[in-house]
Amino acid sequence: MTHFKLSPKQKAARVFSYLFMALCVLVALFPIVWVVLSSFKTNREILSNGLQLPSTFSFSGYKQALEMAPILKFFVNSLIVSFASTALNVFILAMAGYVFAKKKFRFKNLIFGILSLSMVIPSTALMSPVYTVITKLHLYDTKMALILVYTALNMPISLMILRSAFAAIPTELEEAAYIDGAGFFRTFWQVMMPCAKGGLASAAVLAFLGSWNEFTFALLLTSSTSTRTLPLSLSYFTSQFSFNYTAMFAAITIAVLPSIIVFSIFQEQVCSSLTAGSVKG
Amino acid sequence: MKRMFACLLSLAMLLALIGCGGSSSQPSNSEDSASSKEIVIKYPTFQVGANTAAPVVAKLVEEFNAEYAGKYRIEVEDVPGDANYADKIKVMISSGELPPVVYGGGYKLLDLALQADLVVDLTDAVNADPEWKAMYNETWESTDCRDGRIYASSSEGQLIGYYYNKELFNQAGIKPAETWEEFFDNCDRLLAAGITPLAMDTADGAWCTQLLLGAMIAGSGDEGLEFMNTSYPTNYNIPSVVDAIAKIQKLYQTCTTLDANGGAYENAANNFFSENVAMICNGPWMIGDFSDTSKTTEGFSDKVGVATYPGGFVYDAPIEGMFVTKQSDPALEEAGIAMVKFFTSPKAQQTALETQGMVPAGATVEITQTALDAFPLLADFLEQASVCEKRGNTLTGLMVPGLEDTFSAELPNLASGADTPEQFCQVLTDFATANPVT
Repeated sequence: MTHFKLSPKQKAARVFSYLFMALCVLVALFPIVWVVLSSFKTNREILSNGLQLPSTFSFSGYKQALEMAPILKFFVNSLIVSFASTALNVFILAMAGYVFAKKKFRFKNLIFGILSLSMVIPSTALMSPVYTVITKLHLYDTKMALILVYTALNMPISLMILRSAFAAIPTELEEAAYIDGAGFFRTFWQVMMPCAKGGLASAAVLAFLGSWNEFTFALLLTSSTSTRTLPLSLSYFTSQFSFNYTAMFAAITIAVLPSIIVFSIFQEQVCSSLTAGSVKG
Repeated sequence: MKRMFACLLSLAMLLALIGCGGSSSQPSNSEDSASSKEIVIKYPTFQVGANTAAPVVAKLVEEFNAEYAGKYRIEVEDVPGDANYADKIKVMISSGELPPVVYGGGYKLLDLALQADLVVDLTDAVNADPEWKAMYNETWESTDCRDGRIYASSSEGQLIGYYYNKELFNQAGIKPAETWEEFFDNCDRLLAAGITPLAMDTADGAWCTQLLLGAMIAGSGDEGLEFMNTSYPTNYNIPSVVDAIAKIQKLYQTCTTLDANGGAYENAANNFFSENVAMICNGPWMIGDFSDTSKTTEGFSDKVGVATYPGGFVYDAPIEGMFVTKQSDPALEEAGIAMVKFFTSPKAQQTALETQGMVPAGATVEITQTALDAFPLLADFLEQASVCEKRGNTLTGLMVPGLEDTFSAELPNLASGADTPEQFCQVLTDFATANPVT
C-alpha cells in the first residue's frame, strides 16, 4: 500500500474541503432533521425553542396526524396521481424533446419558446381558467383532472431537460441507425431513448416531485377523500386561531419521505442529466 | 422497447379508466338517487381538523341528516385551512358555480357572491319564521343584510376582550385597566417589574394587534367609535386612527416580544401560554387552549383572567353567516335554506356554546347553565361584557376586501419605525379608496 505524504498546504486544502462539505451537508440536512425532531416535541417546545431536542420521544404526534386527517388515503392518491402524471409527462415530452433536438422544421425555436414561456405563468393566474375547463369536462373531483393538470404543469421543465438530453446524443448514431434500415420510430425507441436514459430519469424525478408536492390545484380541483392528495393533509393541523404543530410535523415527515427516497435512488441520473449537453466536444 | 411502449400505452389507458371512474363530475349539486328523492347538499367547510369549530359542525351535520333523513342529506367536503377555503370559494364565485350553502366567515364572501348575483334572497324565508326573524337586530343587519334585504344568517358572535395573566399582574401590583391612561400605566409598571406586557403580531392579518388597535380607536371618542361601526371605511387619515396607530407603534417598540415583528397569531399565543407576556387580545375560542398541556403548562388556566377593553368597549359583531346560492334546481335551494335555518337556529347556537364555548350570534339565544359551568372564564367575560356600552366590529371585519393583507404587510414598517403613523394610515387610505365596496 502506497502512502502519499501531503504538504501542509495540501493538508490545509483538504481540511477546508471537508469543512466545506460538512457545511453543505449540514445546510441540506438541517431542515429535514429539524422537521423530524419537531414531530416528537410538544407545541410549546416547537414555538418556544425550536432548536432544543425533544424532552421525550413520543409518537403521539403521528397518532394525532393519522386521526385528524386521512393521511394514508391521501398518500395512496398521491402515489397514483404522481406516478401516472409522471409517466404521461415523460412519455409525451420525450417525443417532443427528440423532435425539438434533432429535427429541423419551420418556427421550431418560436414554438419551443412559447412552450417554455408557460413556465413563467404564475399558478394563481391559471386557477380560474383551469377550474372552469376541468368542470366543463366533468372531471372535477377525479384523479384524472390532477393527472392532466400536473402533466401540463411539468411540461416546460421536462421539455427543456429532454431536449438537452437528446441534443447531447451524437447525430452520427441516429444516422447509423437510418443507414442500417431503421425507420423514424424504431430509431427513436430503440436507439435514441436508451441513450437518453439519464435525461428521462431526471425529467421523471422532477415531474414526480412537482406532482407530489403540488397543493393549489389539488385543493381547487378535488373535494372528496377519494381523490385528494397528501399536501392537502398538512392544512388540517393549522387554522386561523388554532394549531397543532406536532401533528403537522409528523404529517410532513410522512409526506416527504417518498420524495427523499425517490431522489436518493435516482440522484446520480438527475445530477448528470441536468448538466448533459452543457459541454460540447 | 416494444414491451416498454406497450406498457406505457396500457398505463395511459388504465389512467383514463381511473379518471373516468372518478367519484363525481360536478363541484356541487344535488344527487337525486335512483332509489329515492333525497337531495344531497355538498357543503365545503374549513371547520375541520384543528379548527375549534370542527366538533360543532360535525355534530350539527349529524343532527341535520338525522332530522331530514330521506329528504335532505349534507355531505361535508373538507377544505382544510381558512385561507384555502376563502381562495377556493373565490375561484368558484369567479366561475359562477357555488355550492348550495356557503359560510361567509371572516372573508367577506357574501359581498363577492352578491356582486356576481349568486345569492338567494332569504328575506321571505326569515320573515315567515318569527324565531328566526327575532335574531335580526341592528348588528345582524349590518353583517348579513344589504339594502334592506336578508341574504345571510349568522351562528357565531364575536364578543372579544383580552386575557391577562393574574400571577404576572399581581407581581406588578396592577389590575385590569378601566381607562386607556391606566392601561399604559399598567404597561409601564409591568415593564418595571421585568415583565413584557403584550403579545403582538404582524403576520396573517395581525389578529391580536388589530384587536388592540381597534379598541384604542373606539375608545378615543365619538369619532373613533363611529369609525369602528362603519363598514368598509375609505379614510384612515382621521385623528383617532392616526393617534391609535402612533400608540401601537410605541407598543411594538417597547411593550412586546422581539418576535412580534414578523410573528403570526401562534407566536403571540405561545408567548402568552409560556407566560412570556402578561396580556393578549383574543376571543373566547382561545379558552380551551388554556388547559391544553401540549401548548402550555398544567394549571395555567387557573392563572388566566379576562377583561373588556378600557373605557367600557367590547367587540360585539356576529361573524358573517351562511348564505344560500342560486342553483339550477329550486329544490336544492330549498334544501340550502333548510340547512342555513337549522345551522343558525338558537338550538344550534346553544350546541356550539355548550360544546366549544362559542359565543352565540343571536341576542335571543339563552346562555345555559351547562355552558357557564363548562366555561367559567366565558361566564365571567359575558357578565363583564353585558355592562359595556361601547361596542363595535373588529378592524379587519370593517376593512374593504384585501386591505387586511396590505395592513399586515405594512405593519413591520410601522413597528420598525420605517413608516410614520401618518404614512401608514395613508397606505391604508390609498388601498381602501382604490378598492371601495359599493
